[in-house]
Amino acid sequence: MMLLEARSVTKLFGSLRAVDAVDLTLAAGEVVGLIGPNGAGKSTLVNLISGLERPTSGTLVFAGHPLQGEGPAARARQGIARTFQVPQSFGTMRVRQNVAVAALFRGQPAASVPLALREADEVLEFVGLTAKADAVAETLTTPDLRRLELAKALALRPRLLLLDEVMAGLTPAEVDGLIAVVRDVGARGVGVLVIEHVLRAVMGLCGRIVVLHHGQKIADGARAEVVANPAVIQAYLGVPYGAAA
Amino acid sequence: MAEPTAGTSLTRAAEGLIAIVLVLLLAFIPLVASTYLIRILTGIFLFVALASAWNLIGGYAGYADFGPTAFLGIGAYTTGILMTQAHMPFPLALAAGGLCAMGAAAGIGAVLLRLRGHYFAIASLGFMLVMEQVAANLEITGGGSGMNLPVARGFTPFYYWMLTLALAAIGTGALVPRLRAGYALGAIRGNQEAAQVVGVRPLPYKVLAYVGSALFFALAGGVYAYWFTFIDPPTVFDPDFGIQAIVMVLFGGAGTVLGPAGGAIVLKSLDILLTNTSGLLHNVFFGGLICVLVLFAPRGLVELLRAGRRHLPDRRRLQRSGAG
Amino acid sequence: MRPLLQVDCVDAGYGGVQVLWEVSLEIRAGEIVALIGANSAGKSTLLRVLSGLLRAWRGGVMFAGHTITTASPEAIVQAGLMHVPQGRRLFPALSVRHNLLLGAYTRRDHRAVADDLAQMLRWFPDLADRLTLPAGQLSGGEQQMLALARGLMARPQLLLIDEPSLGLAPLVVRSLMDVLERLRTRGVSVLLVEQDVGLALAHASRAYVLEAGRVALSGSAPALLADPRVRAAYLGLAA
Repeated sequence: MMLLEARSVTKLFGSLRAVDAVDLTLAAGEVVGLIGPNGAGKSTLVNLISGLERPTSGTLVFAGHPLQGEGPAARARQGIARTFQVPQSFGTMRVRQNVAVAALFRGQPAASVPLALREADEVLEFVGLTAKADAVAETLTTPDLRRLELAKALALRPRLLLLDEVMAGLTPAEVDGLIAVVRDVGARGVGVLVIEHVLRAVMGLCGRIVVLHHGQKIADGARAEVVANPAVIQAYLGVPYGAAA
Repeated sequence: MAEPTAGTSLTRAAEGLIAIVLVLLLAFIPLVASTYLIRILTGIFLFVALASAWNLIGGYAGYADFGPTAFLGIGAYTTGILMTQAHMPFPLALAAGGLCAMGAAAGIGAVLLRLRGHYFAIASLGFMLVMEQVAANLEITGGGSGMNLPVARGFTPFYYWMLTLALAAIGTGALVPRLRAGYALGAIRGNQEAAQVVGVRPLPYKVLAYVGSALFFALAGGVYAYWFTFIDPPTVFDPDFGIQAIVMVLFGGAGTVLGPAGGAIVLKSLDILLTNTSGLLHNVFFGGLICVLVLFAPRGLVELLRAGRRHLPDRRRLQRSGAG
Repeated sequence: MRPLLQVDCVDAGYGGVQVLWEVSLEIRAGEIVALIGANSAGKSTLLRVLSGLLRAWRGGVMFAGHTITTASPEAIVQAGLMHVPQGRRLFPALSVRHNLLLGAYTRRDHRAVADDLAQMLRWFPDLADRLTLPAGQLSGGEQQMLALARGLMARPQLLLIDEPSLGLAPLVVRSLMDVLERLRTRGVSVLLVEQDVGLALAHASRAYVLEAGRVALSGSAPALLADPRVRAAYLGLAA
């Protein structure tokens, strides 16, 4: 049984076909990349899966159950976690408390606030934010805010993790570090959908890549094939992957 | 709504001791002080309660309620009606007034709190105005002429009622951030969508904060009614209660534990001093204060004090957004 | 030839915290210079000092022969120095067209402004398709392109651009770099702050490496690309 199935999912904003009859599957433990030009519909698709938007038509099936009216909070409790492209922290709370919120409100919540805080510390160590655990979230730099987004998503103990451009703005060393973290998460049986422009990350993480363009899926397959696909090169890469800039 | 910085257990014990001593001192004051001073303190306690209560919805949840006085009026009238019509003893009538307000807040909150910030502010104000009209047009409330409550024996009990309310409101404000619900509120205040995607359903928690604030306003209203013996719609639905509470919270620090109480004490004391000097000065003062606050200390006194202490160069401050 | 921009021994910071120490650099007309370094190295802070958003504590900045160390941001824009900040900073409720026109706010030559607008729409066809849409409805990458186009509407002599490739598809990044190259051939200079060091060094002629607020290395792009320290720290290549 697939962890996530999108069947002919379409989202219209007025007359704009943001997502156009997209089919997608993702199995538990799989790390799939989702790439495409800006405005291709990647973030909209993530909003549809996480419940912040409703599809105009088509169905989304999660762990065998169709997702219908459930709002984002219900989906989070079912095990769908996501990060935001522009990180959204709970600014007035401390970093540790930010993560504890997820531990307290997931499907099988931590039994008490102190336990949630202790769990938060573990997650922060996993993503490399231990030094900032006591900092007030709104004082964080953008890369640290991205790590915090990831930490909150992980504290949800998700079955499906949707990462929206977590790698942006990181040095190659930092990208490699985060790749290791995400690979670890996938190894624990979590299905991960990675939206990225940082190709180093996509190629390092994703065995399979899906490509969206103008809301439609134009490629879906093994990473080596997809980046050699002429349509993908024309629409997105510009030159074959690995060629000189 | 940051957790209090982890202090040593010694600091915590010291703080606790100071608090107990303070409460005992306040408890003993009516035995030694003049009637005048006792009344002034009672008035201050009233606003400490209102400010700390408003902080629940305006500070912790981040929803600016412009009509909290609606519940002060509901509490006042419910208490009055039950005492005069049903001959209930004061404590029972007061509790009933609180329950009534909680019910009203739950009902109207479930509708209004779906609205975003500015719309909610206007709608809550509208609710207060409607309640005033309801009170002015019912027979049971005495309509526009108002209503008289039974006369209480002696003033001192009111001092203790208000003191208890103030302490209970502060205590609630101290407790909430440590509870799971407090974490939900902090998340909602930070970013409602981000809160939703980690499993928080916003509406129940917003309503909870609103109901909590309403409860204290209503209890304060009930005590106020019995204290002043006579109430009418313009008095107990006077927006000034809400406005003063809001300014006190903003001045002291919205979303902090002691900020609202501190703001209430400082501003109410200044207010009393100024009223004795000049009535005009009183009006100019609060208006001017709002301007100064917005310009120089939008986060209130507590944040100013924290910033002052932090002005020593610190490696960690390099991490502030902006560097790099 | 006197340099277009000369930064002399600048110290700067926020509140009580110093972020930049004795930073000196220069940019000549018609060249692309890269500014690279890790996060919190001070790159964005330096750009803010140059564009007048932050006052330097010590040292001086000279641009086109005038001292601009204490000048206001508006005066600096009028002098021909344009800063395209990280994070887009668009006017989300205004249309794409309106945002672009606001870039030319300080200019008086209205006909030339209209020509430049047409030019921008040729260089950025995606924006032409979305001319009447509110900027807030554009995708992340489209907003980045709009921010750059808006900056160019001021017809700057020197463009400071902060992390332009962030969140952009590779194809778009290439066209963006093409735009910068086109600017260079017209005599416009660019100070390019970039996290993608490979990209920056591929398009710049010279570069400065900022580390913990100081200029740690500087030189020609090919020299830095070959430098083992740069390769290890910033290109993720084994030394």
